[in-house]
Amino acid sequence: MRANCWMGKRHVSIEHVPDPQIINARDAIVKVTATTICGSDLHLYNGFVPAMQKGDILGHEFMGEVVELGKGVKNLKVGDRVVVPFAIACGNCESCQLGNFSVCENGNPNGWLPEKLMGHATCGAFGYSHLTGGFAGGQAEYVRVPFADFGPLKVPEALTDEQVLFLSDIFPTGYMGAEFCEITPRKVIAVWGCGPVGQFAIASAKLLGAERVIAIDHLPYRLAWAIEKAGATDAINYEEQDVKEALDELTAGRGPDACIEAVGLEAEGHGLQFAYDRVKQALGLEMDRPIAVREAILNCRGGGIVSILGVFAGFDDKFPLGALMNRGITLKTAQCPVQRYMKPLLGRIERGEIDPSFVVSHHLNLDQTPEGYDLFVHRQDDVMKIILRP
Amino acid sequence: MASTDRASTSASQGGRSAPDNPEPRLARGLGWFSLALGVTELAAPRALARVIGVEPSGRSSTVLRLLGARELLTGLGVLAQPRRAPPLWLRVAGDAVDLAALGMAARSRSSTARLVGAALAVAGVTAIDLWAARRAGQARSTAPVTYAVTVNKTPEQTYAFWRKLSQLPLFMDYLESVTEHGDTSHWVARLPTGGTVEWDAKLTQDRPGKLIAWQSVAGSPIATRGRVTFTKTPGRDMTEVRVELQLGIAGSAPSAALAKLFAKPEVKGDLRRFKEVIETGEVLYSDASQHALPHPAQPSEPGEGARPQVFIPTPPTAEKGVTR
Repeated sequence: MRANCWMGKRHVSIEHVPDPQIINARDAIVKVTATTICGSDLHLYNGFVPAMQKGDILGHEFMGEVVELGKGVKNLKVGDRVVVPFAIACGNCESCQLGNFSVCENGNPNGWLPEKLMGHATCGAFGYSHLTGGFAGGQAEYVRVPFADFGPLKVPEALTDEQVLFLSDIFPTGYMGAEFCEITPRKVIAVWGCGPVGQFAIASAKLLGAERVIAIDHLPYRLAWAIEKAGATDAINYEEQDVKEALDELTAGRGPDACIEAVGLEAEGHGLQFAYDRVKQALGLEMDRPIAVREAILNCRGGGIVSILGVFAGFDDKFPLGALMNRGITLKTAQCPVQRYMKPLLGRIERGEIDPSFVVSHHLNLDQTPEGYDLFVHRQDDVMKIILRP
Repeated sequence: MASTDRASTSASQGGRSAPDNPEPRLARGLGWFSLALGVTELAAPRALARVIGVEPSGRSSTVLRLLGARELLTGLGVLAQPRRAPPLWLRVAGDAVDLAALGMAARSRSSTARLVGAALAVAGVTAIDLWAARRAGQARSTAPVTYAVTVNKTPEQTYAFWRKLSQLPLFMDYLESVTEHGDTSHWVARLPTGGTVEWDAKLTQDRPGKLIAWQSVAGSPIATRGRVTFTKTPGRDMTEVRVELQLGIAGSAPSAALAKLFAKPEVKGDLRRFKEVIETGEVLYSDASQHALPHPAQPSEPGEGARPQVFIPTPPTAEKGVTR
């Protein structure tokens, strides 16, 4: 089959690889009908995530048709149309039964790797380095899906691929970020980063009843997208305005009640601190550039909530613990336990409360995936979310 | 009740404890000695040269400073890992270098009486280093290995699964088979070096839902004993499984290959696989992890180097997780 493989830093290519086979009894093989490139794939592409190997198949957001089932899968049948959650979780361990699927205790055969880096293991994930198990990803014609009797969600034929595909990761992730904010109508929510996850965080905050949602980015087309399509009420371009001043102005000095960070370890910025982080990261002295996290904490109202959705890899510098502690700010974050949100969010899509296809900007063929990465990483052609079809 | 159970899992109970890791006090002392000597060699090479009977010169100072730098590094190594043998062996090697340096000094102008004194002192330290290094190495291979894991099953279910000793190879990678004959069992293990080793073991304790202990019978090619305890997790219907494995009891020295089997990472891996099998029905493999050697996260050719798959005869039903 054809698959998009990581061949080295800033180098992906379509390779011919063997078709996947059933390995475990609870596996299914899914024929991919639609997949995408996630902003977090760019961290792999740019070489910021450790434990990548030449030839790794990328991609963790995909959907398709079940074509083969292991003998342990009883709830699916060949021909079912399913969306597959990016997190590989067993459904049997205590973490899964508590709903914390992204820290499943059995989903990561390489659990000892994140254990060294992060203290305890994380779940497995498709196409996201050997830290998350070394599972082949979804930017391919076929994918082997472990724990297929637990993860995949059957979706109704009436909905298009574009409407349901994002249930695999970014819609639940953005929604979780808004849910963390304990939204009431009077709360002002600020969202750092207006990429696809940020767009879903903004749309979800509106869905949950926030009257005022402030979008922060430096790309004018993304800010316009946030206002026109996601429903943000205000926009701040940090290249033109000082974020602190603009937020104080918009909230009459209070600061946002809750802040959502949807940027991650490759945050852009300017000034001395940005240069400091760039240099330290380039020298391998710091794994992340947590610029937006710092800014969110420093701007959040006392007693407020900061919700981190961006992906971070390791140990960070200049973390404003003093502001966090002295002003009683609550930090909430997780790799999204997608399985917890898929069904309720599918319900919202079916009831017409939201149409996730509003983030789609490009349709490409699987063979054009390398061009898609190039487009996405350079923010060309007003790119937001790219749909790939094998 | 719970507290009694927990007390029974303690490794020190009932005089069953094995030789402990050596007291790191001696190693720490040697580490501090290295640091002190290193600092002296670096800071006052000329004074030291006089003490050991070497004519102070630019050359002798340089040599002493180099030796001092080495001494500092080995000292830090020993202090960082006082229970481990390799840093102590580095000290032994350093002693040899020191003796060689003194030998070379004897050929040049120097005070013979003081040099002999220094050489005797170094030789004495070498003997202590040798003893400490060998003791650290030995103690490591005979100390019991312990590890614990929590599984989402009741103690009764967990005990019942483990008690079928023939199922142990499902999660203990190195076991080929275990066959039971009443109270005794026959074990076949694959050696990391190739080939197999077989032995017989008998159950020494069997308390349903609580504890299983076994020990190899007299005359077996290897001497091993193990025990596993099952304790209810406070407030939850889960089980804390604690395993203690020991090799080389009754004075027999285990071979390096066998000791490797029982090293902590192996036991840890075994228990993780046990958790996986009892909770999800089998050991999960990824495209990369089903190969013993590094392999990219992409499917393999049919039949290409895949590990043997382990399926238990009747997989525990996959309870659906939360319904939120």
